[in-house]
Amino acid sequence: MAATGVAPNNIGFDFSNYARNEFLGARLGAQAKTTSTGTTIVGLKYGGGDSGDEEGICLGADTRATGGPIVADKNCEKIHYLTPHIRCCGAGTAADTEYVTNLISSNLELHSLSQGRQVRVVTAMTMLKQYLYRYQGHVGAYLVVGGVDSTGPQLFTVHAHGSTDKLPYVTMGSGSLAAMAVFESAYKEHLTKAEAIALVARAIRAGVFNDLGSGSNVDVSVITKAGTETLRNYETPNERGIKSRDYKFRRGTTAWLKENVRDLVVSEEVKVTMGAGKAQQGTTDRPVAVGAGPGGEEGMDLDA
Amino acid sequence: MALFAASAQQEAVAAPIQHRFDPYEDNGGTILSIAGADFSVIAGDTRQSQGYNIQTRYARKVWQLTDKVVLATNGFAADGANFVKKVKQRLEWYENAHQKQMSIKSIARMIQTMLYAKRFFPYYVYNILGGIEEDGTGAVYSFDPVGSYEREACRAAGAAQSLIQPFLDNQIYFRNQTFPADQPKPIPGNLPLGTVLGLVIDSFTSATERHIEVGDGLEMYVVMAKGRAVDDLTSKGALPEGVVVEELGPLGEGGGERTFLVRRTLKRD
Amino acid sequence: MDTLVAQLAPSRRGDEGSSSTAEWANNGYGNLDASGAVAGMDVPGVPDPLAFLSMHTDSMSTNPQAKIKLAHGTTTLAFRFKGGIIVAVDSRATAGSYIASGTVKKVIEINPYLLGTMAGGAADCQYWETYLGMQCRLHELRNKERISVAAASKILSNLVYQYKGMGLSMGTMICGWDKTGPALFYVDSDGQRLKGDLFSVGSGSTFAYGVLDQGYKWDLSDEEAQELGRRSIVAAGHRDAYSGNTVNLFHVRENGWEFIKNYDLSELWYEYEEKKKADLAAASAAAAGGVPIDVE
Repeated sequence: MAATGVAPNNIGFDFSNYARNEFLGARLGAQAKTTSTGTTIVGLKYGGGDSGDEEGICLGADTRATGGPIVADKNCEKIHYLTPHIRCCGAGTAADTEYVTNLISSNLELHSLSQGRQVRVVTAMTMLKQYLYRYQGHVGAYLVVGGVDSTGPQLFTVHAHGSTDKLPYVTMGSGSLAAMAVFESAYKEHLTKAEAIALVARAIRAGVFNDLGSGSNVDVSVITKAGTETLRNYETPNERGIKSRDYKFRRGTTAWLKENVRDLVVSEEVKVTMGAGKAQQGTTDRPVAVGAGPGGEEGMDLDA
Repeated sequence: MALFAASAQQEAVAAPIQHRFDPYEDNGGTILSIAGADFSVIAGDTRQSQGYNIQTRYARKVWQLTDKVVLATNGFAADGANFVKKVKQRLEWYENAHQKQMSIKSIARMIQTMLYAKRFFPYYVYNILGGIEEDGTGAVYSFDPVGSYEREACRAAGAAQSLIQPFLDNQIYFRNQTFPADQPKPIPGNLPLGTVLGLVIDSFTSATERHIEVGDGLEMYVVMAKGRAVDDLTSKGALPEGVVVEELGPLGEGGGERTFLVRRTLKRD
Repeated sequence: MDTLVAQLAPSRRGDEGSSSTAEWANNGYGNLDASGAVAGMDVPGVPDPLAFLSMHTDSMSTNPQAKIKLAHGTTTLAFRFKGGIIVAVDSRATAGSYIASGTVKKVIEINPYLLGTMAGGAADCQYWETYLGMQCRLHELRNKERISVAAASKILSNLVYQYKGMGLSMGTMICGWDKTGPALFYVDSDGQRLKGDLFSVGSGSTFAYGVLDQGYKWDLSDEEAQELGRRSIVAAGHRDAYSGNTVNLFHVRENGWEFIKNYDLSELWYEYEEKKKADLAAASAAAAGGVPIDVE
């Protein structure tokens, strides 16, 4: 048997431009910038004990996306859907968090179909970490995975290199220190649902106001055995103000060099028919303008 | 043998460490100045940041130098504060020697020489000087970090310079605006105070929306020429809601020019 | 008077400075007096100050990641002809790809008889040409006559040569009228000093030379010469991204320089286009025997 070379692996990412980009980056003194969601994302476990509320997970995120120092999106969604009872907050490179959660969401759906039962949160977390580990941190997704499954409420963080944590309260992103400061001072076990939402919102606000990478609104998701409650724009503490002046321009402000007026609407008379090509009673036939093309000299013959 | 092992270990520890002298930092923020016919507005936000952290929500970037001159600094805050200190010192010496305050023209030239003295170790500071000229007109002088300067009708500098300056080019210099044949293009630098303050406020609220390093507070210094009526600033309803005006007393004997500090808040996220 | 002259006169590098003047001298022109030009300038205490400077500053868009962007100028030209010297410049200053200003004065009025142009570092040109103005005045006070353009340009070239290798960046033309008639010198921060009839400096200079060379002759009339200068800057401003905005035109004659006008470059460009179109129409009309033909 003749030795065959190892077939190139065409699955997944193509790193062949990596060296070229590094070289060009060094030459031009700049690298292509990815949109980073300099972010505050948090999650905590609540309920149970003597709180009177059933156990659940509360997740929170801000809504600012940045490209360098510029705000790219003032109201983006950072709490991503994985399954009906699992959500995932994403920080890091915006495109990577979006695609990695989408991909894993698909795979979880297939997994649940093949196994005939709801997937567990650990499964989602494991699939994420294995995927991220394979790409050695080049897929820049920093995630908070939370949900409720047959084993109860579960909460994890997943780092871009593939390491994970399992904790009762977590924060991630550039605003993680500000948010964790709030959690460390006020988190306790068996919070009520209302208390949990209020604490998560407060942690996100800490990120929004004290971390330049985070801003705009507060998104919250609450997951219980019953399902997920999405509280999009739960708080909007940064409404856009009104401008003090009006910037309408006088008609004719923009200069032009050439003027060319054309009618963009092409009007055509269309013959109403019922049987294809058959003449109808009470209608008059008018030739339809049809350009020369396949079978189109004098109008197309539909029966031919 | 032991000696060898020890020396090998020593070598590993004494691996070359790269040192580099990096005395500069970018503290974000933005400054802006617009000249009118008989007034000048010099403004700056009050946020000071380093990376993603806010060092303070109130750091001054605009400084009253004389009764008719105000200086705005932007870039590296430590260099800016030090530079303003030295400028003020030189102005004090001048006043003691000549029994009068230095004119804006002279302050501009002095700032050039002070900046250029550090041509090979520059101040990382962008300066905008605003105030009233000897002839009573509003003036704006802008500088690069090593002292090249120019008198202009308006100038934005700092983090959101590239967001604000094109807006100013359109609204102050009327760039890309054609006017009807019977209405000549207005001459830049003659807009009324109300319009100018509106433009300044809108520049900063918009920059706050889209630039993470701009926000918290806005300070606008308004310098009025001698004998100019100030009711378009101080009368009730002259300014939008939430804007506070305070008159700053003269620093010297006072030549009739009046300086006002107009403040308002900006978004804090 | 002599004390003042002594204080302000440039001296050789290595002379010891007198400490009595150090205090006020430490912040401006004054520091240049006693100890050669370098002493008064603050230099960072690192082994290689030039490396420090080039790491932190970007004077020619070669180091885009540096924090300190220095404005620099771009198309300038000057030429000698029978009616004196025409000096024409654009007004754009760029910091990286950002247009820092469109209203820069790139002709520096050294005194009523001398003009200097600005290309390279804006601050370097402004500062040292102002300093040159001081030295020219001192020459007048000492010698009771105006300085020659040759001598003035040599003060500048000697001065920048002292700083060679320290990162100054200037390409300037010193233009004036002295006993020898109209005189034009090119001086740059490498220390190069050239006497000549026609120069263009800056990134747009190649475009300017293209127009300048095809239209230049000694016997140009004043109007023709001014038009040539103007047209050359427009050509450069149109093709070079780092030049543009407006044209500043100066004319140096026996009794000193005169500022002709500031022109909007794009307005001039469309004027030239219109004229080109009209000329073409006239030419083809003539060819077709007087019947005008629409060339649209």
